[in-house]
Amino acid sequence: MAMIRVTQNMVTNRSLTSLQAGLDRLAQTQEKLSTGKNLNRPSDSPTDATTSMKIRVQLAETQQHVRNAQNGLGWLDVTDTTLSGMADNLRRVSELALQGANASITGTSSEALATEVAQIREGLLAQANTTYLDRPIFGGVTAGSEAFDASGAYVGADAPVQRSVADGVKVRIDVSGTTVVGPNGANLFDDLTALENALRLGDKAGIQAGISAITDRQRAVSDAQAAVGASYNRVDAAERKGQDALVTLRSALSEVEDTDLPKAMVDLQMHEVAYQAALASTARVMQPSLVDLLR
Amino acid sequence: MSGTLSSLNTALSALRYNRVAMDVASHNIANVATEGYNRRRVDGESMGAPVVPARWSTYEGAGSGVRTSSIVRMNDALLDNRARTEHSSLSYLQLRATALARMESGVGEPGDSGVSAAMADFRSSWQDLANDPGGTAARGQVLARAESLAGALAAQAANVSAEMTTQRLTLQGSVAEVDTVATELAATNRAIATAALDGVDVSDLADTRDVLGLRLAELTGGVGLLQPDGTMTVSVAGVSLVSGSTAGTLRIATGVTASGGPDGSPVTFAIDHGATSTTLTADVRGEVGASADLLNTTLPAYAAGLGAVARDLADSVNAVHAAGYDLDGTTGTAFFSYDPADPAATLTVAVTARQVAASSLPGGVLDGSNADVIGTAGTPEGSYQRLVNGFGTEVASAQRLVRTQSLLTTQVDSAREQLSGVNLDEETVAMLTAQRAYEAAARVMSVMDSVLDTLINRTGIG
Repeated sequence: MAMIRVTQNMVTNRSLTSLQAGLDRLAQTQEKLSTGKNLNRPSDSPTDATTSMKIRVQLAETQQHVRNAQNGLGWLDVTDTTLSGMADNLRRVSELALQGANASITGTSSEALATEVAQIREGLLAQANTTYLDRPIFGGVTAGSEAFDASGAYVGADAPVQRSVADGVKVRIDVSGTTVVGPNGANLFDDLTALENALRLGDKAGIQAGISAITDRQRAVSDAQAAVGASYNRVDAAERKGQDALVTLRSALSEVEDTDLPKAMVDLQMHEVAYQAALASTARVMQPSLVDLLR
Repeated sequence: MSGTLSSLNTALSALRYNRVAMDVASHNIANVATEGYNRRRVDGESMGAPVVPARWSTYEGAGSGVRTSSIVRMNDALLDNRARTEHSSLSYLQLRATALARMESGVGEPGDSGVSAAMADFRSSWQDLANDPGGTAARGQVLARAESLAGALAAQAANVSAEMTTQRLTLQGSVAEVDTVATELAATNRAIATAALDGVDVSDLADTRDVLGLRLAELTGGVGLLQPDGTMTVSVAGVSLVSGSTAGTLRIATGVTASGGPDGSPVTFAIDHGATSTTLTADVRGEVGASADLLNTTLPAYAAGLGAVARDLADSVNAVHAAGYDLDGTTGTAFFSYDPADPAATLTVAVTARQVAASSLPGGVLDGSNADVIGTAGTPEGSYQRLVNGFGTEVASAQRLVRTQSLLTTQVDSAREQLSGVNLDEETVAMLTAQRAYEAAARVMSVMDSVLDTLINRTGIG
């Protein structure tokens, strides 16, 4: 702007304006440094603010999915351990049944076999009622405290228990009690009772039927274990993927929101120098006037 | 041939003129920092032969000195006009940007304490409930998070209505100031008209008039027009507010009650001249216009956007919730309740912990799939992000406009200052010039004195 005439007021005003502008820039850089944030309000960059809010929503969702997965892994872990225990017990029952099927054993020893089978049945019933966080793991969505009653009948509510482990991905984390032990009236506990009676009576045909029933149950338990293992792998993979995504999202958020420290430091330095120069030049320009020189 | 003593008169005229020049310089120096002062310049005029020659005599003088022809007030009416326009835009934008920035600081986004964060926490609590549908802790947490989300929305709604209250009070203050300034301008106009008739210098009154005219422009965007008699008429939105020595009254016609509350209608203005009242149809600018625009458009739009987010949230959660079953196996009821007139401020949780419908299966079983559906982010998140984005853009744009407009205003002000501002060096030089001229004229007098002394006292004396 070409100046035809310059007055003291113009110099003063312009000095004040540029001092104000310099101080404003200094304050803005200082805000970025002291808050550590590039984005302190939506108007700093509306687009980045929206991105940041979107990332924050995703971050919260992913965190929740990881929590869901960890919760599911706990449930699956207990189920797996329980199924292993049940498999061990079934193996023992199978041994006992084979011993019972052997013709040489009679009398007191077959009575002992029957007693042990009865005890194992109690153990298996207790295992089938294993709880995780107060919920029977084979009971589906039941509100009750057990999946099988004392007689061995299924009393759970057979519906899948699921966990959302990623966007739109739900994994079933429970195994239906009836899949493991068989349908009511012809389930594992009924088979065991029948076997126990057959052993006690020395009923070879009954024992044979028992052996084949137990073999079927063993297969069902090992199938369930395989299913649990597969679910465990899926949930575990989802959990790890979620953790990875968290790292990526956090760094993306930091990219959008956080101050670029070296750049801000350099900016601060530059603005400071500019401000000091403005101060110094103001001090020099405001001083002299013709009044000082004419006497 | 001029008279013997004419040179003494010439010297006297120089003494008088230079006294005036020194007076003007000192007036200028005295007012160097006075707001609205335009520097004065004294114009001299040499006195010589009359413009219209006499018929039967000839002017034989060699010039008979100097006289003050006028004291000029250095200003440019066009520049002043321009300054009023730019200042009006600047004050409009500044008030708007300040109010928006104040409101923005209450939005709290992006951050860990805003509505967005509360919404994410709310969704998470439903997912936790889905993991543990029977847990009283998880149910309690859903209710607590829902309440804090409602609280965050209500806080923003309160923020908007607080800003509206501030703007209504600001508007009342500005309108009252308009009336005071308009009355002062009318009084100044009267003084100028009278003084002009009396032939008195009106420069100082003209300074006052221009300052008042500028203030009216800043307040209302009123257009000032200089009249041939030196008075200024001001019209706001095309309706006359000040004309000559009469001033009208700007009044808030609708929108704000006397106690500063809302009356349900948009803000409109009227100008009263005695019994006649004219409603303003065009937009008022300046500070008054900025407050009115905020109250009529910007703030209600944000409040409505926030209300839509709250309604969307409540309706979508309620719909899913009603499809589920609570802990006792009963069908879910509405989770949120709100007043349709102002959803954001009135959102409340309408269920107890047992009534939270986490299950999508009847019969009181511990299913969590309904909670899982509610725990998934939906449309309210997106519409809230758009609302914040739109508002951020509006604030950023207002601030950018203020920066541009201040540059423009500074330039116009600087152009005015170039013409009207006092330069101390210039005044010192003018003063010195007058001082030297005064000394020289005094010297002329003493020379004439000695010439006459020779003539009177020594001529013809042996």
